[in-house]
Amino acid sequence: MTASPLLSVSALRKSFGGIHALDGVSFELEPGEVHALVGENGAGKSTLIKVLSGVHLFDAGDITLDGAPYRPASPHAAKLAGIQVVHQEFNLLNDLSVAENISIEAMPKTRLGLLDRAEMNRRARAALDAIGLSDVDVTTPVRQLGIAHRQLIEIARALQSESRILILDEPTATLTERETERLFEIVAGIKAKGVTVVFVSHHLDEVFGICDRVTVFRNGETITTQLITDVTPADVVRSMVGRTLEDAQHSGADAHASTEVALNVDGLRTTANPTGTPVSFDLKRGEILGIAGLVGAGRTEVLRAIFGADPKLEGHVRLDGRALRINGPRDAIAAGIGFVTEDRKEEGLILDMPISANSSLVDLGAVSRRGLLNFGKEREMAARAGAQLKLKYGKLSDHAASLSGGNQQKVVLAKWLAKTPKILLLDEPTRGVDVGAKAEIYGILRDLVAQGMSMIVVSSELPELITLCDRIMVMAGQEIQGTLARADYSQERILHLAYGQTQTEERIPA
Amino acid sequence: MSAVDITPHSPEKTSMSIRSVINNAGIGIALLLMILFFSVASEHFLSANNITNILTQITINLVLAVGMTFVILIGGIDLSVGSVMAFAAVVAGKAITLPGLGATELIILAVLAGVLAGMICGILNGVVSAYWSLPSFIITLGMLNIARGAALQISGAQTIYSFPFAFEEFGSMLIYGVPVVFLVALALVVIAWFVLNRTVFGRLIYGIGNNEEAVRLAGHPVFWYKVAAFSICGLTAGIAAIIYMARLNISSPIAGIGFELNAIAAVIIGGTSLSGGRGSVIGTLLGAFIIGVLANGLILIGLSDFVRQMITGLVIVIAVILDHYRAKYSAS
Repeated sequence: MTASPLLSVSALRKSFGGIHALDGVSFELEPGEVHALVGENGAGKSTLIKVLSGVHLFDAGDITLDGAPYRPASPHAAKLAGIQVVHQEFNLLNDLSVAENISIEAMPKTRLGLLDRAEMNRRARAALDAIGLSDVDVTTPVRQLGIAHRQLIEIARALQSESRILILDEPTATLTERETERLFEIVAGIKAKGVTVVFVSHHLDEVFGICDRVTVFRNGETITTQLITDVTPADVVRSMVGRTLEDAQHSGADAHASTEVALNVDGLRTTANPTGTPVSFDLKRGEILGIAGLVGAGRTEVLRAIFGADPKLEGHVRLDGRALRINGPRDAIAAGIGFVTEDRKEEGLILDMPISANSSLVDLGAVSRRGLLNFGKEREMAARAGAQLKLKYGKLSDHAASLSGGNQQKVVLAKWLAKTPKILLLDEPTRGVDVGAKAEIYGILRDLVAQGMSMIVVSSELPELITLCDRIMVMAGQEIQGTLARADYSQERILHLAYGQTQTEERIPA
Repeated sequence: MSAVDITPHSPEKTSMSIRSVINNAGIGIALLLMILFFSVASEHFLSANNITNILTQITINLVLAVGMTFVILIGGIDLSVGSVMAFAAVVAGKAITLPGLGATELIILAVLAGVLAGMICGILNGVVSAYWSLPSFIITLGMLNIARGAALQISGAQTIYSFPFAFEEFGSMLIYGVPVVFLVALALVVIAWFVLNRTVFGRLIYGIGNNEEAVRLAGHPVFWYKVAAFSICGLTAGIAAIIYMARLNISSPIAGIGFELNAIAAVIIGGTSLSGGRGSVIGTLLGAFIIGVLANGLILIGLSDFVRQMITGLVIVIAVILDHYRAKYSAS
């Protein structure tokens, strides 16, 4: 591969608010290669794809396509330049036919300006045949097709216009092995036609199965680009995780955990896991238990089921040995459980309301009498929580929306701490939080644990789990794959369990 | 990210009220300009008689709009209030014309029956749309037809009249030229303002409109709050029915056709966001005044009712465009 690069990205930067989503991304795409982008969640892959496909503009850096500057202002501009994305979520119109979906961007017209159905079906047929999908009837409504076929139809649609770069974002996440194999055959065919394929995946065995080169992302930066033949999966994992892991291991928390069981989860089955092995574990008093795993591994589902945010199918939750009947968040809060949710904007904060109103949301009883709000008391409570959590704000009456990510997260914490829960569930407690605030949040959590609170932390950042947790439980496929004690922490062991090697090994095409 | 560490005491209550003052100031200025224009354009506009007229004319819309504000604040809509008002009026009309009771008993009975009938419709709207998470647009569209049909059925499509004298007198009573029925509406505005701004209930009404999931996960029974918002809307439709009967001395099963749209218009012109969570009942008061002043003033300066309708429509569209920019401004 010595030809001049088709696409070249150098020192690309992009921030959202104070968050650096891309912080120096550089890599090149050769014509006709299959290039993998890997990295932990939030490492910057999705943002890069959005920049390349014209969804976001970048702040600084250069992109050149065929040697000319490339800065797409809209998805349409990116498509005209020959860059197509097949997203994780399908963008198909389910009630329209396959042919209509494939032609949606440019419907063929007759001389009278009416839809030329025959031409449309002919083009769709050709597009499907081009990727070897000759068994699908183009007049079938998309709704009647399986997930795998829908994905392939998206690919056919992307390829029928003159595509030069096809970006597949986690294409195998919902596919069975056979479907994945078929997708790989199709990718090989596309590559043979000279189209460059960018392949984003969490499954390293797939990356090693079909890709020519791999670029590793970490914290918004590209760490390395290498020929797949020059590296091993272990090398890639090491680049993904970074050396912070070893450092973190030594700066670990003091063990406050007693032997007393605070929370016992027994035979829990969520709606996402109707048939697999149910989830059972103990949380000790004063312990921080981490749950590691990939997106979709079932970590959030477990927390939501414990808290009663979603109904559970079966299983028991015991707090201090007493069985709880939790039919909704109200019951969980009454029992002494708090839940810092994954997405503070969607589930945590009322962005258009003042900081003080947000921090009293869980414990409105404490700032009211007979249903009447006591604003003085509310401000007092918020100011106290603000001081305790080192919250940086202008006025307590400022809207939560005006705060930075880290301070917003502290407001969410303040809201739950108002009731001094016995158990605090935290889902991605530092997502989108800058480094300084992260350290502060870790400190706050450790203080609380020292006072006897127990926590379960779900995080996609391994260094976070390793610094914070006394034990780490690893999930994959909605089941617990193993639990590691602090002495046994190692990146390989966690990732080995998280990537559920036993399930995916068979997927490598022979 | 420049910020002071701690500012323990800030003089104002909440920035929400400041923001609503700023928002309302804009609407208030628009209303003042309108009043100024009409008082120059027509010598009759500011006459005592005409002011009494305007206040009388906006009363029913204001009462309906107060309840509508609660529903729109939680991100819902109630298309049924006009029909529910007619239904409540027919129920109250049947009650007030019962034979063999004294005037006082009849009036109390009628008020209770009318208000209860309105509330029941509101509760049904709320329970059905909140329990099944269905769009209230469709559910209340159904109620619009059900309540209208019920009103026609119960009354046999006949207008009910001959009410006790004291009741009819109440409808036209003035205090210093101000209709008593308008004072009732104003009292409802004050109560609603208090509930929305000073109580836990009001806080959560705003919260649900802003971020329902956050409120649910904080352990609050979102379902009941939604039902409550719709029943308040039904309650005000019931009160509007009583005022309507007292003013016109009849109760007609075809009353209130299209009233829901005027009530929604008053709320939206008043700056309450159709997507919920943002707005105020003071805005609604000003919105109702704008619609009423426009209607009255445009007729006084000799424009036809058709032109009035066109201009009112235009004002609604302008209000929503302004709201779009307001939302954008507050998001950035």
